[in-house]
Parts: sequence; structure tokens; C-alpha cells
Amino acid sequence: MRKVAIYGKGGIGKSTTTQNTVAGLAEAGKKVMVVGCDPKADSTRLLLGGLAQKSVLDTLRDEGEDVELEDVAKAGFGEAVCVESGGPEPGVGCAGRGIITSINLLEALGAYEDDKELDYVFYDVLGDVVCGGFAMPIREGKAQEIYIVVSGEMMAMYAANNICKGIQKYARSGGVRLGGLICNSRKVDNEEEMIRAFAEKLGTQMLYFLPRDNVVQKAEIHRKTVIDYAPEHPQAGHYRNLARAMDENDMFVIPKPLPIPELEKLLMDYGLFG
Amino acid sequence: MTALPFEARRDQVHRKGDGAFRLACDRESLAGAVSQRACVFCGARVVLYPVADALHLVHGPVGCAAYTWDIRGALSSGPQLHRLSFSTDLREREVIFGGEEKLYRALTELIDRHRPAGAFVYSTCVVGLIGDDLGGVCKRVAAEQGIPVIPVRSEGFQGTKRAGYAAACEALFRLVGTGPTDGISPVSVNILGDFNLAGELWIVRSYLERMGVEVVANLTGDGRVAHIARCHGAALNLVQCSGATLALARRMEEAYGVPFRRVSYFGVDDMAEALYAVGEHFADRDPGLPGRARELVRGELSALEPRLRSIRADLEGRRVAIYVGGAFKAFSLVKAFRLLGMRTVIVGSQTGTAEDYRELHEITDPGTVIVDDTNPLELSALLLEQGTDLLVGGVKERPIAYKLGIGFCDHNHERKLPLAGFEGMLRFAEEVHRTVTSPVWRFAPRRTGTREVCHA
Repeated sequence: MRKVAIYGKGGIGKSTTTQNTVAGLAEAGKKVMVVGCDPKADSTRLLLGGLAQKSVLDTLRDEGEDVELEDVAKAGFGEAVCVESGGPEPGVGCAGRGIITSINLLEALGAYEDDKELDYVFYDVLGDVVCGGFAMPIREGKAQEIYIVVSGEMMAMYAANNICKGIQKYARSGGVRLGGLICNSRKVDNEEEMIRAFAEKLGTQMLYFLPRDNVVQKAEIHRKTVIDYAPEHPQAGHYRNLARAMDENDMFVIPKPLPIPELEKLLMDYGLFG
Repeated sequence: MTALPFEARRDQVHRKGDGAFRLACDRESLAGAVSQRACVFCGARVVLYPVADALHLVHGPVGCAAYTWDIRGALSSGPQLHRLSFSTDLREREVIFGGEEKLYRALTELIDRHRPAGAFVYSTCVVGLIGDDLGGVCKRVAAEQGIPVIPVRSEGFQGTKRAGYAAACEALFRLVGTGPTDGISPVSVNILGDFNLAGELWIVRSYLERMGVEVVANLTGDGRVAHIARCHGAALNLVQCSGATLALARRMEEAYGVPFRRVSYFGVDDMAEALYAVGEHFADRDPGLPGRARELVRGELSALEPRLRSIRADLEGRRVAIYVGGAFKAFSLVKAFRLLGMRTVIVGSQTGTAEDYRELHEITDPGTVIVDDTNPLELSALLLEQGTDLLVGGVKERPIAYKLGIGFCDHNHERKLPLAGFEGMLRFAEEVHRTVTSPVWRFAPRRTGTREVCHA
């Protein structure tokens, strides 16, 4: 079983990319589980067809300790197992602690046991790793490989660079490695070349370049992944390619985050004067 | 100074006569050295909880409330609500989703059940992390129930016990000034910094009342919410205990123009001085008061003297070590032991300030060791080195003394006999006498020897 965590700046398209990739893997016959680690609990909406499901923490709150795996796990597109951690309303409590509790509970319930015969577990994590709780998915024994969703926009690259610092920290104590960058295009000038160069400087690779296409938004409005909504569309093909690239990936590294001046120079060279 | 167990604490221990006096204090305890101090929450709790008709609700996991339950056994002449310990019992669920709703329900239920005159709601570590809006909930419940509901910002990790005193003073100050002041005598005081752990507040109150001084409020021993609310109408604040309520006295002086005097009620000298100070303070309003103070002191002393004299004969020249919470108590003890003919060879406190230690340095004899925030290992080494007959301290020091074969007297909040005033001095002298002259020391001989230095 491969345990994968997807990180990236808030709003970059982590959940969309994760679910479309999962759809591609599921279509190819892989058994996949998705664990949403965002208090908004919207990481599995496209796989479940928008069906609201009860989050782990909601269940824990309403039913106490007697939680069964079946209460919180639901089968979505291609038999992908969907789980949402959930969390508090904005502005109260501690969402970070919620992630920790939720992941521990899933482990205790045997969600990752061999009898589930999972090929993949995906953790889709809140954009800003604001405290220790949101780093839970990459601690010892959790996700072993990380993909960062990024675009050619400056703040997205800053965020990716910061996430690499986090990976570096946990790579020393646990076994987590960076599997690559996934560029979710924002149609920035020279975007593909710049992200490729950025990946190289980080010591990793650009796993795939996803072009921008409105069909993604259309599919989302219909609460579906592109593979589900428009299986013949070229964009569905891109997601299938990404899924294959991930499945075949064998490049796992401890990234070398860039000093800020170097990151800015990269932006100047490619983005502004490229 | 010979070998101390911890090199890092060298500047927090000074022997009088060894060069210029300088003592580091009010800083974090040495890690791993088992400080005798408690946390911010605990500091706030001990100051506030003697308010007997208030509900004291600890917003946090159950341990914070359980381990401070009736922590000092503060006595009340009326309601006993303060001796119960209430907790919101925060669990995983509230940590994740927020504890405000549970706090609101707990407060409402407890107020409905106990009808307190007011409520204090204490913040704990976890509440400081999850950011529950304590103030907001308190405001809402206060409006609904028509009683003061006061948040106490006492997250344990914020600092030392001293920070807890500050949080308690802040909470008390919110209550002060909310009640009517009509009918208060121009010759009136508040008693600050006595917690009535064994009835000492009643002794002090009775002296003042016999002199004709009105006591408006006790802060906080045998305290009442309504008295504290109107105590800004008193003409003078008497402040005992160095750290705990001085900040409140200063704020009341600023905001309401109530002057304050620092006093101590322990020992013949300090008790008499406190009463004389009150007499002098009000001499222009009540010209007979200084005379009445002298008369009271004379009467008490004449009963006390002969009995103290016979005790002193046995204690002359014995060596005593003092380690207490607040430095102000240490001043009084040094003087009291001098009255008993004993020599103070070590004196220290958990929470003294630079000013406190300068004063201790002035009133002690050459060779006396002055120490801030000590720990068991260091205190043991000092006790042996200084050749001590008696240690005076709190419950945490008791086993240290006994293991070394040294007598011990409790002068902290666990004791059940009041030591304040003239009658308290006699009680204390008798106890010291019983301890030091006990035949048990023939069977539990004093340890000797020194320890090696740990390079911490």
C-alpha cells in the first residue's frame, strides 16, 4: 500500500487534482482510500457525487467512542473509499488536534489494515500547515510520499518551498519523501519551464503539467470528477496520465528548499523577463 | 560559599558578608531541579479561592481543578461554596470543537444550583491554546444571571506563580468599584493579602475593630463578593504578603485614590508596628486612635512576655533556616526568631523580588545565606553546611528536614493553627520549642557531610 499526501497553497486545486487522480487510479483498477484532512470536509465531494457524509469528528462528537469504520467511510466513484476528518467551525476549538484525533482513530479502527487490500491511501491536507496537527499526515508511519500542487504564481511557489522545509524536517525523523510537483496551470507565462526548473532546484521533478480547462469547473458544478463527467474529454486524459505517472513514479527525494533570493531570481528569470 | 549542587544557580544564592550583595530572582526555575513553585493557574487560584460566596469554576481538564481542590483550606465564617472544586472537565471533543458551549452550560447549571454572589472562571493551559472566548461567555452569563461573572486569565504556561497573582489581582480589580460605598466610616481599611488559612484574619480583624477601625473587605480570606465590590470606599489598604495583592493595592491607589501600607501580622514587632501604622494614618481623623493602638499592644504584650521569656531560655543560640513562598513572611520570621534568641542562618523565598532580597540582606546577620527559588538538593546542601536545628517552610520542605534529622515547623498554607498577632506568636514559639527540644532527635541524629557539585 502506498500512502500519499497532497499539499499545496490554499485554493491551488489540491482537492480537485487529488480526486481526479484518484478517479484515474480507480478506473485503472486500483483500490484507493481518500482521507480529507480539512475542517471544511470537502475533499471527497466529487468522488461521492456531492453526497454529504458524516465526518469522523462529527461522528465522534455525536456518538462518543463507539465509532465503527462503516459510520465514517463511504464508497465513491470506482469504489474509492472516502473519509472526511472534519473539524470545528471556523474560529473555535483546535482543527489541528482534530486531524491528530481523526487519523489516530482511523488507525485504531483498522482502516489501513491488510484485509482492506488497499493500493493507495491519499491524505488531502488543508493548504496552510499552520500547526503541528496539519503535519500529522507526514509523521512517522503515515504518508511516505508527498506531492505538492503548484502553479507559476509567486505565492504558490513560496508555499511549495515552505512545504519542502516541513518535509525536510520530517524526512529526518520519519521516512517521508517528496515524489514531485504537480503543476496545475494558471496560464502564467513560461509556466511549464519555470516549474520544471523550480523542481530541479528542489532536487525533485515536475511529475505532470495539467493544462487549464473549463471542463474541470463544469464537472465540479455537477459534483463529479472530469473522468466521471466527461470521460472522452482531453482533460480526462490528462488526469489519467497523471495517475499513471504517479503509479509509475520511482523518484522519491528529500527536497532542498531554496533560499528566498534564489526563489525570487527564478521568478524574475522565467516569469517576468523570460 | 562552598559547593552548591547546581552551578547555574550560583547567582541566586548569597552569603551575607561575601562581597557586594546581588541576588538574581524572578526568573524561570532551573530545568530539572524540582522547583518548589507552582504554575500561573495555581497562583491565581490560591489568591482568589478564599472568596467564600463565589463560585470558582475551572475551565479545563479535570486535573487542574482536582489537584487544587480546597488547596489551602481557607476558612470562612459563613458560606463554604469556595471549598468545592468545579471543573468544566474539558475533553478531546471540546479541545477540537471549542469549549465555550460547555462552559456556558456548566456556569448556568452551577449558578442555578448554588445561587452564588458571583463567579470566577479560571482559564487553564488548553483553553489558552484553543482560544475559547472566556470573556464573552462570562459577559453573557453575567447579563442573564445578574451577578458578576469574572474571567481569570490564568493559562498555566504563561509564566510562574507570580503571573498568577497578577491575573488574580486583575480579576479582583474588575469587581472592585461595582458596589455602593455609602455608610463606610472615614476610619476604615481593607485587609489585603491574608487568606485566613487558619483563622489569622479573624485575629487581625478583631484587633482593628477593638481599636475602632472599620474593616470593609478582606481580600481574600473569608472574603465576600459584595464587600470586595464596595471596598474602593475604604480609606486605607493594609497589604500583607509581598507578591499576591500588592498589584491590586497599586491599581486601587491609581484608580480610586486609596493609599496603601505594607504590613505583616506575624511576630510581636510587626504586629505592633502594623497597628501603630493604622493609628498614625488616621490620627487626624480620630486623634484617640494612636493611643488606643498602644493600649491594645501593651495589654497583649504584658500577657505574652513572661511566657515567651521561659521559652527563649531554651532556644537561645539555636540555628534556624527559613524557606517560604513570599519574602514578606520571611522578614517577619527573621525578626520573630531574633525575639526568641535564635539565629537565622538561611533565609529564602519562592517569589521574592530584588527589593525584597535587599531588605532581607539588611535585616540578617553576617554569614546568613539568602536564596531565591531553591530546590531540594540545594536546600539540603545548605542546611547541612549551615548547621541547622530547625527548618521553617511549607509542606514540600517537611520531608527534606526530616530526612536530614532536622526539626521542622510548617509556616505555610497547610497549617491549622493561626500564627498571626500576639496570640499567634505565642503559639508559634511553643511549637518551635516543642520541635527543637523534642527527645526524638536523640533517636534520629542529624546527617552530616556535603555533596558534590552538579554542573547544570
